[in-house]
Amino acid sequence: MIQFDHVCFGYDGLQSTLEDISFHVAAGEFVAVAGSNGAGKSTLAKLVNGLARPTAGRVVTGGMDTRKAHTSVLARSVGFLFQNPDRQICQNTVREEIQFGLTLRGFDPKETHARCQEVLDDFGFDGNAAPFSLSRGERQRLALASLLALRPRLLILDEPTTGLDYRECTHIMQIVRRQNCQGATVLMISHDMEIVQDYADRVLVLHEGRLLGDGPARRVLADRELLAQASLLPPQIADLALRLGEGFEGVFTAEEMVGRIEGRRSA
Amino acid sequence: MKGFLEYVPGDTPLHRLNPLTKLLLSLLICASCFVSGYHLFSVGIIILNLLMAASAGILRRAAVMLASLAKLSLVLFLIQVLCVRQGTPLLTLPLGLIITDRGVSFSLLIVLRLIAATLPLALMLSVTQLSDLSGALVDRVGVPYLYAFALTTAIRFIPVFAGEMSGIMEAQTARGVEFDSHNPFKKIRLILPLCVPLLISSVQRIEGSALSAQLRGFNLRRRHSGYKRYPFRITDLASLLAGAALIALAACI
Repeated sequence: MIQFDHVCFGYDGLQSTLEDISFHVAAGEFVAVAGSNGAGKSTLAKLVNGLARPTAGRVVTGGMDTRKAHTSVLARSVGFLFQNPDRQICQNTVREEIQFGLTLRGFDPKETHARCQEVLDDFGFDGNAAPFSLSRGERQRLALASLLALRPRLLILDEPTTGLDYRECTHIMQIVRRQNCQGATVLMISHDMEIVQDYADRVLVLHEGRLLGDGPARRVLADRELLAQASLLPPQIADLALRLGEGFEGVFTAEEMVGRIEGRRSA
Repeated sequence: MKGFLEYVPGDTPLHRLNPLTKLLLSLLICASCFVSGYHLFSVGIIILNLLMAASAGILRRAAVMLASLAKLSLVLFLIQVLCVRQGTPLLTLPLGLIITDRGVSFSLLIVLRLIAATLPLALMLSVTQLSDLSGALVDRVGVPYLYAFALTTAIRFIPVFAGEMSGIMEAQTARGVEFDSHNPFKKIRLILPLCVPLLISSVQRIEGSALSAQLRGFNLRRRHSGYKRYPFRITDLASLLAGAALIALAACI
């Protein structure tokens, strides 16, 4: 679904923001890109849908070379959720906002209405509400809803939970997980390691424009040395398991930790 | 033209001038373009701007600005040249349109003036910290701080809003809006709906800035609250005399 071949990128062709990045994301994967601020995570996301073009190397998304395809064309199969939903929202009602992308894509009115209603019901929105009167979390959900109405094969989420409370954050991520289970590929940019641990199957670790690590979430998030290099901390459960050491190897979730403790207690 | 109004740090003679001198000098240079009716004079002013930019270490930025203004000027020239019907026809076009010698000359003068008059103001802002500009307006001219602050904040917000608009356009392109089209008319039509998110984010940002300033005692600020002074030096006088001489030259030729 996504192929990066020795990709380099620098804004205005000057400083190098990303250097020699290579990886492949298969269809249906849930991949998180983790890294501290300024690591190049958002730039990497923009390279995937052609908002940024590589200065060297090649990015192929959904079989299309991003240097040759327009972003608006790539948008037919790629949904991009920005950190700030207010940049995406541009219509007067929730219903119009959801229909906006469908109309752009040229769906007939019947199909547009059906898909819009489906998303409205799914997300529990009032179609007549004014988008900018919604809370920050609701606006983020609306931006996501507008994307999902288009049924993209690839979802790129740039810090989707920034500024949201736990309930809103869980709500958004549950929807994303459901999409992933239904076959959508997810590339999520995040520096929230708890979210990464809870939802991603695979993690790419970026630091100062370089890809430091790439592997299953369970392995990468337990690699204290790798995370330290990228100025990241392991998620709390993984950190606790690492600190407890013997007998707690490979513990990754709260359930596993409880199971391991209960096992030791009964032994 | 990303970041074209941002301050470029430096310690060149142009940087060291009093902010008011820089403002006045740029206004004098602008005015000279309109005093003179000669094309070559405007070309000379453009060259003078580039020399000044080189002396301030911002030649690359000035060249980028010049290239961007040249693109805009080309559009303006094409529109203008078709609007002037006086003079000897040089070319007859369909739909009754004609291009005349006076049309070409006048349109060329207009775009040269546009470039020559825009560059000095942009260059002045590149070598002057906006806080110094407001400080000098308060300290030397006696402008109430509220107005000086409003002026410099308005200038400061131009690149901020440009960046915000760019972000909005990116977000909309990612949704499938064809901002990456090469058709300028299509782009203009597509930009109109984006006024909503831009307006919302602008109001939010301004409200936030105003609140933040008030919480830090903005209303308590008086003329002598600033510790920095902005004295005029001999170089300031020399620069203003040079500007006045330019106006005189423009009037004479």
